[in-house]
Order: sequence, then C-alpha cells, then structure tokens
Amino acid sequence: MDCYTANWNPLGDSAFYRKYELYSMDWDLKEELRDCLVAAAPYGGPIALLRNPWRKEKAASVRPVLEIYSASGLPLASLLWKSGTVVSLGWSAEEELLCVQEDGGVLVYGLHGDFRRHFSMGNEVLQNRILDARIFHTEFGSGVAILTGAHRFILSANVSDLKLRRMPEVPGLQGAPTCWTALCQDRVAHILLAVGPDLYLLDQSACSAVTPFGLAPGVSSFLQMAVSFTYRHLALFTDTGYIWMGTASLKEKLCEFNCNIRAPPKQMVWCSRPRSKERAVVVAWERRLMVVGDAPESIQFVLDEDSYLVPELDGVRIFSRSTHEFLHEVPVASEEIFKIASMAPGALLLEAQKEYEKESQKADEYLREIQELGQLTQAVQQCIEAAGHEHRPDMQKSLLRAASFGKCFLDRFPPDSFVRMCQDLRVLNAIRDYHIGIPLTYSQYKQLTIQVLLDRLVLRRLYPLAIQICEYLRLPEVQGVSRILAHWACYKVQQKDVSDEDVARAINQKLGDTPGVSYSDIAARAYGCGRTELAIKLLEYEPRSGEQVPLLLKMKRSKLALSKAIESGDTDLVFTVLLHLKNELNRGDFFMTLRNQPMALSLYRQFCKHQELETLKDLYNQDDNHQELGSFHIRASYAAEERIEGRVAALQTAADAFYKAKNEFAAKATEDQMRLLRLQRRLEDELGGRFLDLSLHDTVTTLILGGHNKRAEQLARDFRIPDKRLWWLKLTALADLEDWEELEKFSKSKKSPIGYLPFVEICMKQHNKYEAKKYASRVGPEQKVKALLLVGDVAQAADVAIEHRNEAELSLVLSHCTGATDGATADKIQRARAQAQKK
Amino acid sequence: MAFPHRLDAPELPDFSMLKRLARDQLIYLLEQLPGKKDLFIEADLMSPLDRIANVSILKQHEVDKLYKVENKPAVSSSEQLCFLVRPRIKNMRYVASLVNADKLAGRTRKYKVIFSPQKFHACEMVLEEEGVYGDVSCDEWAFSLLPLDVDLLSMELPEFFRDYFLEGDQRWINTVAQALHLLSTLYGPFPNCYGIGRCAKMSYELWRILEQEEDGETKGRRPEIGHIFLLDRDVDFVTALCSQVVYEGLVDDTFRIKCGSVDFGPEVTSSDRSLKVLLNAEDKVFNEIRNEHFSNVFGFLSQKARNLQAQYDRRRGMDIKQMKNFVSQELKGLKQEHRLLSVHIGACESIMKKKTKQDFQELIKTEHALLEGFNIRESTSYIEEHIDRQVSPIESLRLMCLLSITENGLIPKDYRSLKTQYLQSYGPEHLLTFSNLRRAGLLTEQAPGDTLTAVESKVSKLVTDKAAGKITDAFSSLAKRSNFRAISKKLNLVRRIGTDRAAVLRLLNCSELAFTDMTKEDKASSESLRLILVVFLGGCTFSEISALRFLGREKGYRFIFLTTAVTNSARLMEAMSEVKA
Repeated sequence: MDCYTANWNPLGDSAFYRKYELYSMDWDLKEELRDCLVAAAPYGGPIALLRNPWRKEKAASVRPVLEIYSASGLPLASLLWKSGTVVSLGWSAEEELLCVQEDGGVLVYGLHGDFRRHFSMGNEVLQNRILDARIFHTEFGSGVAILTGAHRFILSANVSDLKLRRMPEVPGLQGAPTCWTALCQDRVAHILLAVGPDLYLLDQSACSAVTPFGLAPGVSSFLQMAVSFTYRHLALFTDTGYIWMGTASLKEKLCEFNCNIRAPPKQMVWCSRPRSKERAVVVAWERRLMVVGDAPESIQFVLDEDSYLVPELDGVRIFSRSTHEFLHEVPVASEEIFKIASMAPGALLLEAQKEYEKESQKADEYLREIQELGQLTQAVQQCIEAAGHEHRPDMQKSLLRAASFGKCFLDRFPPDSFVRMCQDLRVLNAIRDYHIGIPLTYSQYKQLTIQVLLDRLVLRRLYPLAIQICEYLRLPEVQGVSRILAHWACYKVQQKDVSDEDVARAINQKLGDTPGVSYSDIAARAYGCGRTELAIKLLEYEPRSGEQVPLLLKMKRSKLALSKAIESGDTDLVFTVLLHLKNELNRGDFFMTLRNQPMALSLYRQFCKHQELETLKDLYNQDDNHQELGSFHIRASYAAEERIEGRVAALQTAADAFYKAKNEFAAKATEDQMRLLRLQRRLEDELGGRFLDLSLHDTVTTLILGGHNKRAEQLARDFRIPDKRLWWLKLTALADLEDWEELEKFSKSKKSPIGYLPFVEICMKQHNKYEAKKYASRVGPEQKVKALLLVGDVAQAADVAIEHRNEAELSLVLSHCTGATDGATADKIQRARAQAQKK
Repeated sequence: MAFPHRLDAPELPDFSMLKRLARDQLIYLLEQLPGKKDLFIEADLMSPLDRIANVSILKQHEVDKLYKVENKPAVSSSEQLCFLVRPRIKNMRYVASLVNADKLAGRTRKYKVIFSPQKFHACEMVLEEEGVYGDVSCDEWAFSLLPLDVDLLSMELPEFFRDYFLEGDQRWINTVAQALHLLSTLYGPFPNCYGIGRCAKMSYELWRILEQEEDGETKGRRPEIGHIFLLDRDVDFVTALCSQVVYEGLVDDTFRIKCGSVDFGPEVTSSDRSLKVLLNAEDKVFNEIRNEHFSNVFGFLSQKARNLQAQYDRRRGMDIKQMKNFVSQELKGLKQEHRLLSVHIGACESIMKKKTKQDFQELIKTEHALLEGFNIRESTSYIEEHIDRQVSPIESLRLMCLLSITENGLIPKDYRSLKTQYLQSYGPEHLLTFSNLRRAGLLTEQAPGDTLTAVESKVSKLVTDKAAGKITDAFSSLAKRSNFRAISKKLNLVRRIGTDRAAVLRLLNCSELAFTDMTKEDKASSESLRLILVVFLGGCTFSEISALRFLGREKGYRFIFLTTAVTNSARLMEAMSEVKA
C-alpha cells in the first residue's frame, strides 16, 4: 500500500491530482487523432471520429469514414461519409451525434450510426459557409453555436426545439476571432469572443466589450479560452503564456499563472470537482500536459502520443491511441484516508481492519484510538465515501470492508448509506466494464441519475444489463423493467429480417402482461417502420382499446378502429372514429358501417338530432326505418314548419311513412291530426279566437265555452268522439259556464253513459248545492250513498245505506257523521248494524 | 317512532370529502382565468353548485356577476367570460353565438368553458363547426358525485335516464365508471360486486379498466364498503311508477325536491313568502318521519308537538337560575324544532288537501289492483276516465305504463283505444311520446298468446325462493299498511342481500354479474361487510331509498345510495314525453 499515493501529484499545499488509467484502448485507429475531427460525449459517453480530409489540401477523392467508438474503444458504428464538408462534431445530451456541415446543415445520427434527422442553421449560412461551430449543453438540452464566413454568430439553445438566434454584429470585426466560446448564464446563451487584445460578450441584443478583472498587462492576443463544465468559471490563455482564471462573468479573478510557453495550446479544459475549493485548468500541447491552479508550481505530464481531452463534471478524461485515462482532484475522503501519515479516523479504521485481518492486536489499539476521540461514525462514513471514489474494485472492497468492520462497534449506525454505496458500486463496476465502456465516476453517476443511465444503456441496446440493474436495484416495474422491455420491443420491430409472426410472438413472450408496457407505442414504432401488419398484430395485445384506436385510424383501419372504440366503451373515442369514417367513406358506405354498429349509430343519431337534421333523415331512409321517419316528420311539423300548409304536408309525409311501417294506428292518428289542423284553421277564420294546436278535446271544449254547441257536436261526430268523453267534456264545460239550464237539458237528453255522480260532484265543485241535489236523486243505487253524502244529506245517505245493508257504505256514512246534528243518524246506523249482526 | 338503528350497525363513511374535492377543483379552474370574470351557469347546475360553493366563495375567486345560461343574448360587460355547463350541444351553440356576436362587434374577450362532469368530443366538434374553437378554452370539472345526505350520493344527471334507456346513448356510462373509481380510491376497494342489467355490466367493466390502469393506488387499502350493487332502472319500472306513500316520497311527488332541498310555497308556510328547506338527516324532525308511511306522519307530528309543548311548559316551575340555563341552552334547539315542526305540519296539510282533491284513495286502489293483477277491466276503465277527464297528462301516462308493465303489455284493443283517447285529450304530439314509450318498453302491445303476466311470473318465482321469503316477512308489517307491497315486489333487489347468495345467482340472467375478490374480502372487516353501496343507473325514488333503509335497520346493514338522479314517476314520464318546442 505504500505506493498507493505514488500517482498523486500535489498542486499547491492543499490539493492532490491523480491520473489513472480507465482502459487501454485497442481500437484500430487508421489515422492519427490529430488528423481527425474528434467528439467525445461527457459522462463517459461515446467517441466519434471523422477523418478530416478537408484539412489537408488533398483532393477529396477518398470519402472519409465516420466512426463511433465506446469510451473503451469498442467500435459501435462506422459509415462512409457521403454528405458535405463537416466543420464540427458534437454530442447532444441525448447522446445523438450532431455533425455541423459547412453549408449550415446539421445531420443528426444515433449512437449506432443510424441517421435520425437533419436541420439547418439558416439560409444565410448557405452563401457564407460556416467557419467554426460549437456544441454546448444547457439545462434545456444541447445547443449549437456557429460562426459564419461573414463573422456573424448564430446560435440555437436547444436543438430539439430549434429556434435560431442571430447574434448582434461585432463592431469592426475584420477577420475571424482568435478564439471564442458559448457561455450559458442565467439560462441564456451568450458568446464570448476574443479579437486581438479585446474581449466581447454577445448577448441577444448587444455586443459589449469586456475586460477580465485583474488581467496582467501586456496581453496582445488571447489564444485559447475554456469554460468550466458548469459554466461558472472561465480560463483565458494569452500569447504571453499567461493564464487568467476567474468567474465566467469576468468580474472576479480566482488565480493566474504564467507558464512561459507562448505556443498556443491544443486544448485547455477545466478540471475541478463540484463543491471543491480548488480550481485547476488542464492545458495540453502536442507533447505536454500541464495542470495549472492556484499555486506557483504546476503539475506537468509528458504526453507520449496524440491525446484528446474530455472535460467532465469532476475531472478530465484523456484518451489517445493506446490509453484512456482520468485525471482528477483527489476527493477529500480519499485524501484523508490515504495521505501519507494521515491520522484521520478513516485512515485509522482502514489500518485497524487490516491489522484485524492479520490477527494482530494492533487492530484494537487503532480502534480504541478512534473511539476515544469519538470519531468512529465519522470514520465509517469516510470509508464509505472514499470507496465510492475508488476506481479499482479491490480498493473499493477493502474500504467497504473497513467500513463494515467499524460498523460492528457502533450501536446505531443507519445501514442505508452503506447498502446504497455497495449497490451503486456494483452498478458502476458493471457499466465500467470494458465491454460496456461507460467510465462513470460516482459523482457523475449521482448527477446523471439512474434513470438517465438506464436510458443510455437502452440507447446502447444493452437491454439485459439494464434489466438486471433494474431488478438488482428493485426499481418499480413501470419505471424500470417495463420501460426497458418496451424499448427492446421497439428495437425488435425494426429487425426487418424476422417475420411479423415471429416478432409479435417474441415480443409478447417477453413482455406478457408486464404492467406499464404500452403495446400501442411499440405498434406505432412498427408502423413507423412500415410494418402495418405487425403493428396490427401487436395492437391485439394492447389491453386498453383507447390506446389502439388512434393508431388504427392512422393506419387507415377505420372499421377495426370503430369496433375497438366500441369495445372500449369510451363514447368520445367512438365519436372520433365516426368523424374520421365520415370523411373517409362515401355517405352510403358510412351509413352501412353505422348500421352494423348500433352503439355508434345511436351516438351519431343523437349528434344529428341536434346538429344535422337532414343527415338524420337520410339515416332513417337508408335503413328503411319508416317508423322513425314518420316520427321525424311529425316532429318537423311542430318544430320546423310555421305555415299550416307546410305542417299539413309534413304530416302527410309522416302518415305515408307510418303506412309503410305498417303502423296503421299512427297513420290514422296523423291523418286525424291533419284534418283537425285544417278544421282548426277554418274555425279560427270563421269564429276568431285561438284553436290551432289545441287537442281535440280542448277544441270541442273551447267551442262549447264559446257557445257554438252545434259546431261542437258536429266536430264530435266527425271525429267519432266516444260518448263518455263527450259527456265528461260537456259536463265540465257547462259547469264552468255555470249554465245550469243547459246542463239540465243535457242531462236529460239521454241516459248518461258516465252515470250521474259526476254531475253531483261537478255541481258541488261550483258550490251549487241546489243543482247538485237535482242530480243526486238520479244517481244509480250503488253510488247513491256517495252522492247523498256529497250534497250533505247524511240522514238520507244513512237510510239508503241501511237499505243496502252494505257494511262499507255504513261506515262511510258513519265517518261523515259529525257533531250533535248527526247524532240521531249515527245511532240509527249503529242500530241497523247491530240488527244486521243479529241476523 | 322512528326506528333506531341496531347497535351493531356500521358507521357511514364521511362523504363530505367529495364536496371538498369538488370545491377545490372548481376554485382551481376559476383561478386558471385570473382577474375578474362573469360566470354563466347552466340552470341544471345551479342547485348542485350551490351545495358545493356558495356565491361568496365564487366572489372570493373574482367571479363578478352570475348569469344563467339561457337562450338570450348576454349583457355582460366583463372582459372574461366563464361558462359552467353540462356537455350539451345546445350549450355549445349558445357559447358560439355569443362569441360570434362579439366578433361581429369587433370585441375580443376571453372565453372559458368548464364542462361538468366531463367534456364530450361532440361538443368540441360543434365549437369547431361554428368556427370558435380557437377562441374558447375548454376545461373539465370532474364533479360527478354530490352528497345530498349522509347516505345519499347523486350524480345529478337526470338525462341519464332518457339518453341511455331511450336513445341508447352510452356516453354517461364512462362518467359512472369514473365516479365509482373515485369512490374506490377514496374509500378503498369493494370486495363484492353485483349487478343487474346491461348498463350495470358495462359500467362495471369500464370501471374495472380504469382500476387496472391505475393499479397500485388502491392496493393494500382496507375496504370501507363491503358490497356494491349496480342496478339498471329498467330492471324495475314498477316501483318507480307507483305513487309514493312515505313522507319524503310524497313531498317529492307533491313539491318536487330539487337537489336535496324543497321550495315550500305560501300554502305550506301560511305566510306570503315561500321557504326553501334543506331536507336531510340534519333536520331532526324530518329525519324521523321521512321514511314513514304517510298515514303515520300526522300522529307522530302531533305527538311531537305535544312533547314540545311540554318542554316549553317546563319553564313555568323554574327558578331564575334554571331559567337562565333553559334560555341559554335548550331554548334555541326547541325554537328550531318548533320551526321545523310547523313547516312539516304545513307540508302535510298541503299534501292532504291535494291528495283528497284528486281522489287519492281511488288512485291507490287502482294501483293496488294493477299490482295484484285483479280487476283489470275496472282499472282500465278507471284509466280511461282519468284520461277523458283530462286530470293530468303525466298521471294518465303513468297509469297507462303501469298497466302495460304489470300486464306484460296492453291487449291490442285497449292499446289502441287508450292511445286514441290520450291523443284526443292531451294533444296529438304525444304520438311521439308513445313511440318513445314503446321503444323503452314502458307501454307495449301484448304479444298474442301471452297470458301469464310478467310480474306474476317473476313474483311466483321469487316467493318460492327461501331468502326472498324471509325478506317479504320483514316487509309484511309495512306491506299490510298500504301498497308498500310495490316495494316488496322489488325483491330482485332486496332478495340478494339475503344469505343464500348461490340461490340468488341462479335466478340471474345472462346480463347479470357477480364478482367477488376473495383477497380483498379477507382484508375487509366485518364492519365494512355490512356497509352496502347501491348504485341506481337511471335514478331511484325516495320510496326505494326508504325501503332499503328499513331493511338495513331490520338486518343491521347500512345502505349507501348512489343514483344518477333522484327520480319519481312524474320525472320518468316527463323524460319520455315529447313536448312541443
């Protein structure tokens, strides 16, 4: 362990930087890195190389090859570049490769070299060409900034929602700026550029000259600038070999350094850890690498080969033809533990555990020492944390072992931090594997989140590993396994060499009823690849009909969509399909389709009733539904028609329809109504007053009330009003008129079909006891008691009841006996009752 | 006098949460349109809205003026208009005409339509056709369950009945499913589900789909309500068509209870102003008489009045201190009770007056005869006379339907003559009404050779059923009194609560379903298993509610009612009638 800190290099008093190998690269590079356009995605992302034939003055006889490798150098894709001259390459946050061409076109490729889409940076660039381009990352996504041949800057802050912003002109800019970069401050992207000794900041509206605070004098040109990963810091390299490091606003200087090398560096990037006070910049020349910070001395490395720097959240990745290394500031926990002669609790604990394994009593001494200081908890935490920052599994293990050892001597140490670290390390080690090639550090992993990591694994088509991680971390199915399976399925449907049946079966076998898997999404993907049949097969597995329908419609399977929509029971869905069908099919076919789907039909009918009456009629016509057609015309005769002729005509059509429907009754009734309407019209003309729209009964009543008895009788005869009704009608009307004379005449015209009790009732209603009594005598025997009671003749009612010997009647009379006046009658009844009982 | 609940009867869940949910959502929607705005409310939504959020709450959220949605041009001068409507095409036309009028006048305002309980595609279609879709923003107020009482939830969707049972329109079923889903997320899953009818089945299936989509939320929750019954209204029209004889039902028949409250006119209040009374379990007097047969109510009220008087009288012998106590504590309650008592006595008198005028006795007798299936001829001529005398179009129609259903259709001669008479009395446009009634199966012609009437066959089948027999016993005390028999006929509902579930299931037809989730049942406490949710698709009457409350008291169950709307015979008939526009 003595040499563990051998690769630690101190920078100033307080910080160490270490560089260790991630992978030894065995990619078979045909070209030197320096001859290529290189782009490496952050967070251990893939590396894209495009041999740059345009740089050399050679004729472009040979087409260049675009190659994509994993961070460990495994080839992912290789394709012949057939498009125009590429100015710059870059990776978006979704790990899509953006290739910015000279003519302003940007081609987007997937990780596996699959072409995704392309967009343009504006027409202006077509003439002017692009001199330079940068791809940068903001919190919204990935942006592109370009420098045109006319020395104008154009940028888009988010390529997935392309909005081009033309930056203002830089006054007096003749040639290309010596160096420039995109900055992102307060969620707005700016451009910082250097022209000779001047710095300009371009924002949306203005171009302002800026001066870095505390810049050493004598600078005549800025050769290189670097923005930190978080856009918080900026470093400037001048032609005097002087490096200024400060905040991105240029208002504060953090430190400066003079390296005395005047040659422009090939690359300069920041190397700092989040939440660390140390600030350092890594500068690379052809054969020299320098770490510069707030210290009089710098750390120097010799580069044996052409190298390329990739800034990361917490360090710098350096890859070359043969190796891939990581350079970073040693984290505090590791420093505490491994620093030579460290007495930090973590260091002691690690030592104690080692002694314990050696079965030495020193273990106890160390432990005691920690415990006496009461720092055991801290020691365990330190070991856990340091384990996270170690790259080598054996070091991780020994630190974790120490932590676990220390934990034994603690009463209450919450286990979750330990457990979580073990899990995280296992995941990290798995993805750092050579075959996977994602060299994430612990801090990067935490920043990226497990969800994004899973997305990236899926993007690399590493489905089994992703699923294993989900299962290992026990992620909820919907977020984890199901999502990955769905992605797998989407990939699967793109395999054109497998038959539809096999793909569908394979997908169903794997996915089964896994919750959260949307078969319709997979089907949509299949349809996108032009495999309609497969899409339909996959949709069969979709349990939610609501999800099937939109895709089916898109695939022009409207009829199938209709039946699915009906199955779903969602009427809105049915309606959507209906409208689709209506536009798609001709009227006849549309109606035929409806005819077979009663639910859809009634839905559409409801809509038509309110919105398209004519269509409703056509619908009924189509179905030969004469009954409804008749009803339709009847309704029209009330609602739509104003003139009497129109109404009669509508009724005639209705009657015809009813005849066709074999509904004689309705036809007759309609014809009667036509007659009545005409008649009412005539009555209105001849007699005045209102008759239209009265019912037959009311018409006759109105006539009687108006004293047109003859007419009334004529009408009753014409319309064959039954006797009973006529009697009721006349009785009520005459009583309303209080025409007692006429009423009496009427009552004597013939024997009443409704008896005479109603006469009594109606007279009493008009409070005419005198008239009522006249009729009471004529009431038939079975209702006599009631009639007598109505006119208030209790005594006579009692007599009749006794005569009838009817128990019910007796009690009825009895209940009407009130007070003293009827006392005698009541007695009489009681007596009669008693007598009846004796018998 | 009112039956106390058995001691072991389970507690009812707290449904006020539903109100709070609806209110919060409405406020959220209103706040989506910041600033002052005028609110246009559909007439049907006014009373339910009043139960959720009163005017002062609306004002708090910057609602300036309130208007009713009616076919009149709006006079609002506000810059922002908000419409709170049911998803009906008619309303969309109204909104569109308003927007278009503004456009003509060169005015730009903000418009927002809030659909309750949900938005329909057809509505958006209409907006689009009228060319205003882009000018109007649409939102949904998922307010589908209004707790009218401690045990009564109403969806306040009276059109459900006509839309589904007449027009075959299934769009409300989704709303029902969503309401059920809401209940199960709030009050735990239902271990046992039963249903009768096609609509019940569809609602159940849609509901299941919803549950599956959001699985995991309700998992592991303890069920609070043990059973749920879904019933289609068309399973039993008879009960709904009978005259109601319990107090609450009579009040509904006579004065029309609207959204749990009733407007008593001057004839009840015996003053010149009408009085709006909230009828629910909080009204102590009402709570004791609501489920009573009307003939008992008067006696009870007078007893109550005497008790009240006695309590008032107590103050005579009191000293100062006791008097102080009395005034500060009891007097207010007594006064309140006094007020309620006088209202209900007034209502009773008014009902009595109306009923005697209409020959209520005769009517009940006829209904009784129809239910029992005797004296059909006499009943028919009674109905005929009823029509001839133009007593009431709705009543006449009701009796005709009752006759048709109990006799399994009218004999052809009667079918024709009654219809002719009806048309002559009440106007020929009712030809359409008859066509509707026939489609709904309420008024039909007897198929030749069909002798045994439908109800008879149903009942005879049921009476042999042991479980059903027991329950008839339970009802006998009430049944003797009046045509409560009508309700006991509704055994197809009641019988299944009996113990012998298997026997019951044998009787069920194809469209009926029963679903038990054993895993859930294990978790359910015995308490919750005696809580039963009954869902009426197409509405239920107060008599049915009373009957089930009675059954619950007898057996130690508690019933919770969920209905698409509280209905009665008149409302059913009106839904079927075609009225001249």
